[in-house]
Amino acid sequence: MKTWKKGAAAAMVALMALALAGCGGGSKTASVSNDKLKVGVTNFADTLEPTDNYFGWQVMRYGVGECLTKFDEKMNTKPWIAESWKVSDDKLTWTFKIRDIKFSNGNKVTADAVKQSIERTFKKAARAKAMFQYESITANGQELTIKTKKPMATLPGVLGDPLFIIVDVSEDGKRDFGKQGPVCTGPYVVKAFSKAKTELTANEHYWDGKVPFKTAEIDTIDDPNTRAMALQKGEIDVAVNIASGDMALFKDKDKFNVSTISSIRDVIARMNQRKEKPLGDIRVRQALIRALDRETYCKTLLKGTFTAGGPLLPPSLDYGFDELQKMNPDKYNVESAKKLLEEAGWKDTDGDGYVDKNGKNLELDFVIYSGRAELPLFAEATQADAKKAGIKVNIKNVDYNVLDSIGVKGQYDLLISNVLTEQAGDPEVFLNMYWKTNVNGSNPQNGSGYSNPEYDALSDKLAMEFDPAKRRELIIAMEKIILKDAATIVFGYPQTNMVSKKGVANAKIQPCDYYWLTKDFAPAK
Amino acid sequence: MENLINGFKHNKAFRFTTCLVLLLILIAIAAPVISPYDPLEAVMRNANMEPSLQHLCGTDKLGRDVLSRILYGASYSLTSVLLLVAIIFVVGTTLGVLAGYYGGLIDTVIMRIADMMISFPGIILAIAIAGVMGGSLVNAMIALTVVTWTKYARLARSMVLKIKRRDFVEAAIVNGGTSPHILWTHIVPNILPLMVITAAADIGAMMMELAGLSFLGFGSQPPAPEWGLMLSEGRQQIQTAPWLMIFPGLAIFITVVIFNLWGDALRDVLDPRQDN
Repeated sequence: MKTWKKGAAAAMVALMALALAGCGGGSKTASVSNDKLKVGVTNFADTLEPTDNYFGWQVMRYGVGECLTKFDEKMNTKPWIAESWKVSDDKLTWTFKIRDIKFSNGNKVTADAVKQSIERTFKKAARAKAMFQYESITANGQELTIKTKKPMATLPGVLGDPLFIIVDVSEDGKRDFGKQGPVCTGPYVVKAFSKAKTELTANEHYWDGKVPFKTAEIDTIDDPNTRAMALQKGEIDVAVNIASGDMALFKDKDKFNVSTISSIRDVIARMNQRKEKPLGDIRVRQALIRALDRETYCKTLLKGTFTAGGPLLPPSLDYGFDELQKMNPDKYNVESAKKLLEEAGWKDTDGDGYVDKNGKNLELDFVIYSGRAELPLFAEATQADAKKAGIKVNIKNVDYNVLDSIGVKGQYDLLISNVLTEQAGDPEVFLNMYWKTNVNGSNPQNGSGYSNPEYDALSDKLAMEFDPAKRRELIIAMEKIILKDAATIVFGYPQTNMVSKKGVANAKIQPCDYYWLTKDFAPAK
Repeated sequence: MENLINGFKHNKAFRFTTCLVLLLILIAIAAPVISPYDPLEAVMRNANMEPSLQHLCGTDKLGRDVLSRILYGASYSLTSVLLLVAIIFVVGTTLGVLAGYYGGLIDTVIMRIADMMISFPGIILAIAIAGVMGGSLVNAMIALTVVTWTKYARLARSMVLKIKRRDFVEAAIVNGGTSPHILWTHIVPNILPLMVITAAADIGAMMMELAGLSFLGFGSQPPAPEWGLMLSEGRQQIQTAPWLMIFPGLAIFITVVIFNLWGDALRDVLDPRQDN
């Protein structure tokens, strides 16, 4: 009996050792064949319908959808499906010349097809109207004419937004765009889609050269650490956005390509400044911002993968960043933060370490989501630093999909976002989105209650201004107002990255993150 | 009580594990005194430091001292786990005793509800409940109570059913004893030892489940120094700063082992069926 037990025990130990050895695994070779490319990404899209929510972004990121225009490395608007365009002298009529190309099903991309696609977007997405309003769209052969109601300096850029991905409307209904993927003009075509995995095949009718990979698989790996490990193990060939803490794992230049770029994104916290909220008082807002050591968050906590924040627009864009940073009144200064709170009537009377007024502590609900690794870190750093000034911050971690409605309804004190500052190669949309006065739902995204007539006036001027130099001045003036009003916490500006196995060439991240998988990805020679 | 004192005198294992449990409780109580730093004080310039003489277990992503957080976590985790087990014990036993003693409709209602709860995998149901109510320590405790009380109810009920037919209970009924009196003086004392043993053996398991919920984000919320939460936070740097996971993990492991051993020893001491 005893020997039997001993034997069994020995067998168990051996089994466990085997299991452990299995965990080690051997890393696969770095070379990648042209049969299949595997990309690990984050994915928020439940469907691939470009007009649903912001799902069009994924359609474009996966190399399926294309727009009339696209943005280059410096965020200039460049031709894509549209070969060229011009605007009439009264700035109301735009004429786009459509490239003579085919959809992935072989149908021709005519001006009429483009027209139907744009009209479909307007029909299905309420968001489209906020971006521009047209008087008429007419199609003539390969020539598309759009008349706008108001002069729109940024129209070509707006049409580069993934909301306006050009789809073959004649397929709509025959094919479920949401579940099977839309028919577009990109290098890849959707074969099968689920939220966890998208299978793609090369588009035979692709117009811009032969597609290097026969098939591609996009794996949703939302957890950044898991994504890093998948790449490390060789389960995927390319990973988008490796977390700052994991970058050190991919130092080996013989095995991995690392492509890093200062993005045009911001990590911000919107501040709910409706009257009944504590942040309705500008002194409390200033105090909070001054309590935060953003320099250290970015340099130490995030290991230099962020630039510390101040003005709304990042230093990678040419909008006088240094000048604005100099005039920024709310730099890190805990003492002045405490003083401001005292002036605003907040004092720690009960000795619990938090300032209070009328028997209530200064408590702020900070709504965050954890899909991006840096967001909880910023939130917790804020919580720790705010405490030093006597402000209690309660972190509420929610699902990304409810974030938007929380923002619109204003159910927060602080709301974190990682946002793109240039929506159409221009920051106008971004500057209006969260800060232009919301009159009875005229600007639903501004759920914070922020309103400054001066800001609105500048915004209206900007909408009519076509001269780039003057636009720049207006934009800087708007940024100054936001800084003065302490309207938003800008935590920092992220670098983004894409890490690929040595076997994949040209896997480069671009400042505009509509583009991940592109026609340029190829097996390395 | 006499059993316990006897056990302490004569049962080596019980003596040893009881000392360990007391030591744990002592650490938990003395955390503010023995911790080298404030567990919530973030010195961000010192983030992610390796274990060193200044910080024996290193520092975490916000530059907080991991050792201090673990020590404070002991009081935090122990208090919540002991409270949780106490609640489950009281709720489950009470319902089980009522169901067993009165039978009939009360029995049917209570036990069918219990059956319903058991028909789901426990921890998954707990995740669902905690998820719906939102992550917080209190909600996690409620969720675990909801899924765990059935075990105690079923155990208590089955024992009550057995004891109810024993002569001394019948005698008490014949003598005109009221139900509350019979329950309190004849039935509860007889099922208590076994219930206590079950509860003691459950402390370790409950600690794991509570830490598990915290790990998933359904339990304690940052910046609380809770072990499961610390594990979860460290997970993001498992390859670059492994000490963030190793030390809280060790803390959970040691505590759970101690409580499990203690639960076993307690059974040896209390269970009348193992008298010889």
